[in-house]
Amino acid sequence: MLKAENRLGVIFFPAFDWAISPTHPEREERLLYTQDQLREEGLFDIEGIREYKPEVAQTEDIERVHFCFPEAEAIATRSHYISSGGAIKAAKLIMSGERDRAFALVRPPGHHAMKTIQGSRGFCAINIEAIMCEYIREKYGPKRIAIIDTDCHHGDGTQDVYWHDPDTLFISMHQDGRTLYPGTGFPKEAGGPKALGRNINIPLPPGTSDAGFMMVMENIVMPILDDFKPDLIINSAGQDNHFTDPITNMNFSAQGYAALNSLLKPDIAVLEGGYAIQGALPYVNLGISLAMAGIDYSHVREPGFNPETLRESSEVMNYIASLCDGIRDIYFNPPKESSEGVISGKWSVRHRNIFYDTEGFTESQTESLLLCENCRGLLKVETQKENGPMGFGIEIPAAACEKCRNTGYSLLEEAQIKSRYRYMQMINRKDKDYLRYGF
Amino acid sequence: MLLLGIDVGGTHTDAVAIGPDGLEAQVKVPTDHDNLLSSIKNGLSEIVRNIDPSRIKQLNLSTTLSTNSIVEGKFEDVGVIVSAGPGLDPHSFMTCKDFHVIPGALDHRGSETRRLDNLTLEEAIASCRKSGVKVYAAVTKFSPRNPAHEKEIGLAIGDNADFITLGHQITGRLNFPRRISTAFYNCAVWRIFNKFADAISGTLDEMNLGHIKVNILKADGGTMPLPLSRKIPVQSIFSGPAASVMGIIALCNITHDSIIYDIGGTTTDIAIFAGGSPLIEQEGIDIGSHPTLVRALKVQSIGIGGDSTISILEGIVRVGPNRLGPSIALGGEIPTLTDALIWKDSCVCGDIGKSKGGFAAFASHKGFEPDELADKAIAYAIDKIHSSTRELVEEINQQPVYTIHELLENVRIVPRKIYIMGGPAKAMKMDIFRKFRLSTEVPENYDVANAIGAALTRTTTELELFADTERGLMFIPSLGHRENIPRNYKLEEAEKDAMNHLLAHLGEMHVAADGSNAQITSSSSFNMVNGSTTVGRNIRVKCQIKPGVVRIHS
Ligand SMILES: [Zn+2]
Ligand SMILES: [Zn+2]
Repeated sequence: MLKAENRLGVIFFPAFDWAISPTHPEREERLLYTQDQLREEGLFDIEGIREYKPEVAQTEDIERVHFCFPEAEAIATRSHYISSGGAIKAAKLIMSGERDRAFALVRPPGHHAMKTIQGSRGFCAINIEAIMCEYIREKYGPKRIAIIDTDCHHGDGTQDVYWHDPDTLFISMHQDGRTLYPGTGFPKEAGGPKALGRNINIPLPPGTSDAGFMMVMENIVMPILDDFKPDLIINSAGQDNHFTDPITNMNFSAQGYAALNSLLKPDIAVLEGGYAIQGALPYVNLGISLAMAGIDYSHVREPGFNPETLRESSEVMNYIASLCDGIRDIYFNPPKESSEGVISGKWSVRHRNIFYDTEGFTESQTESLLLCENCRGLLKVETQKENGPMGFGIEIPAAACEKCRNTGYSLLEEAQIKSRYRYMQMINRKDKDYLRYGF
Repeated sequence: MLLLGIDVGGTHTDAVAIGPDGLEAQVKVPTDHDNLLSSIKNGLSEIVRNIDPSRIKQLNLSTTLSTNSIVEGKFEDVGVIVSAGPGLDPHSFMTCKDFHVIPGALDHRGSETRRLDNLTLEEAIASCRKSGVKVYAAVTKFSPRNPAHEKEIGLAIGDNADFITLGHQITGRLNFPRRISTAFYNCAVWRIFNKFADAISGTLDEMNLGHIKVNILKADGGTMPLPLSRKIPVQSIFSGPAASVMGIIALCNITHDSIIYDIGGTTTDIAIFAGGSPLIEQEGIDIGSHPTLVRALKVQSIGIGGDSTISILEGIVRVGPNRLGPSIALGGEIPTLTDALIWKDSCVCGDIGKSKGGFAAFASHKGFEPDELADKAIAYAIDKIHSSTRELVEEINQQPVYTIHELLENVRIVPRKIYIMGGPAKAMKMDIFRKFRLSTEVPENYDVANAIGAALTRTTTELELFADTERGLMFIPSLGHRENIPRNYKLEEAEKDAMNHLLAHLGEMHVAADGSNAQITSSSSFNMVNGSTTVGRNIRVKCQIKPGVVRIHS
């Protein structure tokens, strides 16, 4: 009988009764064949591999991370509560030591959901990895966490959630934003003023295959991880880099995904995108599961896999090689200033318009970080959905200094008195005090 | 009209005859493991001694034959020919030396992604023939979606085999490694089981009981007709615990979430009921070194029974999991749980005086008051049963669900009642009640409940239907039924078809098909989309005849 080298927990939740719309790529059928494949392989009979059911996240788990306007319940459906609950279950399995590794094979995904949310973007409403990470920090104390996003799309949501957090290293490798949604994710986006070099973007040219991804892993990701020394490594395991994916242009294979995972050794992987539901997902999910468990995956091959025809051109390889040195340097010698925001008094301020493609509206937002000598700084957000009411959010980080903490409360009080805002939310991680006002 | 039930157990073979007015005869004879047939014959002769044989309609038999021959490794060499395609290395599931992997692949929808390699197949068969193999198992990955490759292998083996098992005939459920081991075991015990079936038929003829319909018990709490069992003997493994559980169903009117204990000599079997129905193992039962796809009631065994030895280590009193001999009451030397129960006057069996004397002597030797030792031993046993039950219920409640509806419904099992059977059942009833604070019942005839269960268990069967409207195909693997369907074929039609085939299949087995026991256990339909158009539906329906007992007296 097969025995896993690492005890692996798989939280499998295909949400067989939820879809954005009947023919949307993110629909009921998405994990159907993955389930067939995992069952037929007898994955859960392997000693050391166990299947778990997800938990259902609480509104508090969402509002600990996001400024939600008008409120979490209005944005997240029941299936979002379950997919983030699935990620939380993965975290509990690892943190309690019940399992060595965990893979949350859940849907819908979350990496396009930003710090402030007013609706759904890129099939995502709430950021399930961030909800999981902050659940861990809330319940198990401060942790250095590295999130490696291997989805084909830039993880702009996760980047935004952790933009100002020096304790979270976010690395996203993705198809170049000049050729794919959401059009962001360039090396110059290196983090906010207090977290420079903690946000690493690796835009890859269309057609990148196994060798290109491994070059990036070996030359950028692994050296940075060795230096950062995270307490936990999370893989945002999007699978739309696959050569058969209908909405992207990459040439990655199931073998490649498994090899990447086997090098990265994430504590937790959380499923993100991946829409080649017949030709790729069953094989890639199997490959990742086996790699996480430490079982031979060399026989996992999807139909149509031909390493010769998928191989990158030498131009692509040369281009990736040229990216490597420069990007690694962003971490080791971060820029002196953030690429985003202007300094206004003691605040670093960003004005942004964010388009919610799934629902088709734009949010205009002003985000300000109080530049503090003694802590990571107080975060403040003013937001307005097109023609909608104003929202106000303020976040006191867990390790906030006394001054920032007090400033946070007085700004909240001031906002209430001014009554400019219809909705107000305070996230006080220091005292675990979470408040919401408005109707 | 009489129904007979025989349960061949580890120590005793129990036999009963049940008529419209209830139990008409019951016997217990010792089991002779080297000659199971003689044990059955003895039980049967005892039963028919005072009964008019012409009144007997049916004999349901639970036997350890297949189980023992697998566990003891006394079975025939099998040629196992598999084809796997991509995934785990199929050599990880090697069941025996004549194991051959043939290149070829089907995907999850049953499409051929690589043709079966005929040359390698011929070589594999030649090699099996050379080692003298006469029974073959052919198993390919995803054969429940398309049996073509298995059939191709079967055809190629042809006359080389006395018997062939094709994987998809076992069940329509997916699990390639389990399908391999199930097909392997089915072949391994085929000859020995068929000899036994011949002997049973012969014996019945000799006893002028040739008119009796014989059914063999399965682990899922159902039976199968003897002629069918000859083709799927593997389904007879581990039917013992199922007989006990069915006995409780026959003797009690179970309607709530409940716990069932069968407290034996060395172990206690725990089963859980949801509503009125026993729970089934999600995948299948484990035997030998391989898990199988044999459907089984979920029964957990723990090492606590009447004969479990009492031991004291560093002042802590324990019971089991060892059995070092019988209780002092029955001539043993080291006190057991039964002796502790006798000391507390909860149990009457064997030599009471000797038991109490031996128990007191053991206690004082260990520096205990006998009362205290008995209390601690019983408490330990009850605690163990309690904690194992809690773990089992928790595990069941943790089992994965796949839809939002199921998850939010939060269908949890909350036991409201306990049923106990087996030797020490009466003696432990009050202690169990005090620990659980749940209504606790010990049915009458609890000592032959297993044979009663065997007698009254009805025939069960399950099948899985799979339809792919994009390709216009409907398929029922276990029946080998394949038919073309229109593109607008719907879930409701699939459900109707599944039920019709289930009932027709029972009819073919000459089982009165009672539609009221047939049920759909799961059904789903998924839109299959290509680009942004719906190209068809992927439909899956599972149905079964519910495990249950015949009520012959109203
Ligand atoms: Zn994506
Ligand atoms: Zn501060």
